[in-house]
Amino acid sequence: MPKWFDSFTDTIGSDEQQYLACETCGHGTLPPRQLCPACGSTDLTREPLSKRGKVLSFTEISVTIPKFHGETPYTVALVELDEEITLTGQLRDATADDIAIGDAVVLGTEPRDAGTAVLTFRPAEE
Amino acid sequence: MLARVTGFENRRDAPVALLGHSGASRSTVSTRAGSLALEIVAGLNDWKINTMTMPPKIASVASTKYDEHPDSSSRELFVEAAIDAFAETDLGPSDLDAVYVGNFMGDLIEDQGHMGALLADHVGAREAASIRIESACASGGATFRQAVHAVESGAADAVLAGGVEQMSIANIEHVTDALANAADDVYENEQGLTFPGIYALMARRYMHEFGARKEDLAAVSVKNHNNAVENPLAQFQKKLTVDDVLTSKPIATPLVLYDACPVSDGASVVIVVSEAFAAEHSLDTSARVLGTGQSSDAVALQDRATITRTPAAERAAEEAYDEADTAPEDIDVVEVHDCFTIAEILALEALGFYDRGEGTRGAVDGETALDGKLPVNTSGGLLGKGHPVGVTGIGQIVELTKQIDGRHPNQVEGVNAALAHNVGGSGASTTVTILGGE
Repeated sequence: MPKWFDSFTDTIGSDEQQYLACETCGHGTLPPRQLCPACGSTDLTREPLSKRGKVLSFTEISVTIPKFHGETPYTVALVELDEEITLTGQLRDATADDIAIGDAVVLGTEPRDAGTAVLTFRPAEE
Repeated sequence: MLARVTGFENRRDAPVALLGHSGASRSTVSTRAGSLALEIVAGLNDWKINTMTMPPKIASVASTKYDEHPDSSSRELFVEAAIDAFAETDLGPSDLDAVYVGNFMGDLIEDQGHMGALLADHVGAREAASIRIESACASGGATFRQAVHAVESGAADAVLAGGVEQMSIANIEHVTDALANAADDVYENEQGLTFPGIYALMARRYMHEFGARKEDLAAVSVKNHNNAVENPLAQFQKKLTVDDVLTSKPIATPLVLYDACPVSDGASVVIVVSEAFAAEHSLDTSARVLGTGQSSDAVALQDRATITRTPAAERAAEEAYDEADTAPEDIDVVEVHDCFTIAEILALEALGFYDRGEGTRGAVDGETALDGKLPVNTSGGLLGKGHPVGVTGIGQIVELTKQIDGRHPNQVEGVNAALAHNVGGSGASTTVTILGGE
């Protein structure tokens, strides 16, 4: 994994999540961008990212790539966080049968081989 | 090289002020299907410029059957198609100014890069300019468009635009891994998302927003498999029912096996020539290129404003329609990139054939069937004909050229304009091509 992603997941683990906010147009984006994709500005600042979000869509994967061999079935969710940042991660503590579009979830990370991490989402407490 | 403009290298060099002086607008110059030739007379010198605006012609098309060809290889498949393309004309390898090769995964599956020079050599055009063009599954469409631009600009008179892919020699996990190269490796693949999974996310959201059912998606697969039965180039020659689709095994919910295209090997070739070159040679087709368009979008689904629209396809279509001076209602037959059933539905909406959220009507109501008002994927599409990934955009041109010529196995009556839509990734690269007849 590239170092920038390890740094990003480290900040999630330490409750100091950061995304990139454009000072010119306000658009939010994710590391390691150096230019705002909406307006082209290079004036990006790091801002804290909340852990809460809502499920935009999800899928239970049955046929996977070698890296996840033997882990199927597992569910991947596309989640929009409160800052309108969207992330892709694996569902934990629930299956695809337990969730629906619009459900509230909480972002986390889970360590994998070689010190890298996968992004995870767990159903939010009521 | 044949000059296309008397007095200027090409139309882009023609001074804009001069065009304005003659009363011709820029849009007139760039509208190829409209005024086919434009004369500009300016000043006291009677300086006459014959701005050559005849669209490039297609000299010949050919394709191998799309299938699993585990005992063959990219170089054998590509040359097989090229020899067939030469056979119907008086063209040979020495006529080619360039060989452009669309190929996605030669280095990932066959451990073979540098496909441009390799295949130019193998088709007998070792000295021609050559490149491999890679835009994931839109490699073929992008290759064809670059060939069109090379001929249009006057840089070349005859370009072989081909595609080749050998996928079946790898196991399914390896192929799935190679296909995943079209996605964002860090934010998608490393999170466990697969390529079918990406389209599954789009499908579930589309079903949620517009009330589409799994049966509506399955209808696309049934239609396209039905069309493939009569196409000798198609991988599948077997009809399916909606029930066959719905009971096939899940790959990434809500998508099942028959919502997805197969793994395919194959090669397709199109030879693109200038009007002047065409006048001096016997061609095998009457098809010409009326317009093309191409656009990009964020590679990662999570970086898009919406996942139930494909804006790159909308932009590419607008560009192609403008250049061809046509509109959706002028199109008689269509090939779209149905790598998954949901992709055909999104394509029909992006291309302007259906309003947003209504694309399912095409297959469900029979409007896009062979006898419908707008036949879509008469070849069988990627679902039925197969999807040798970097070849597909070229294969679509092969199929539509046959429709223009009136020699397609699923011939549609009275085809004057035909449209191809080719997608890379989950919509981050899209090309649209519009062909017409004489």
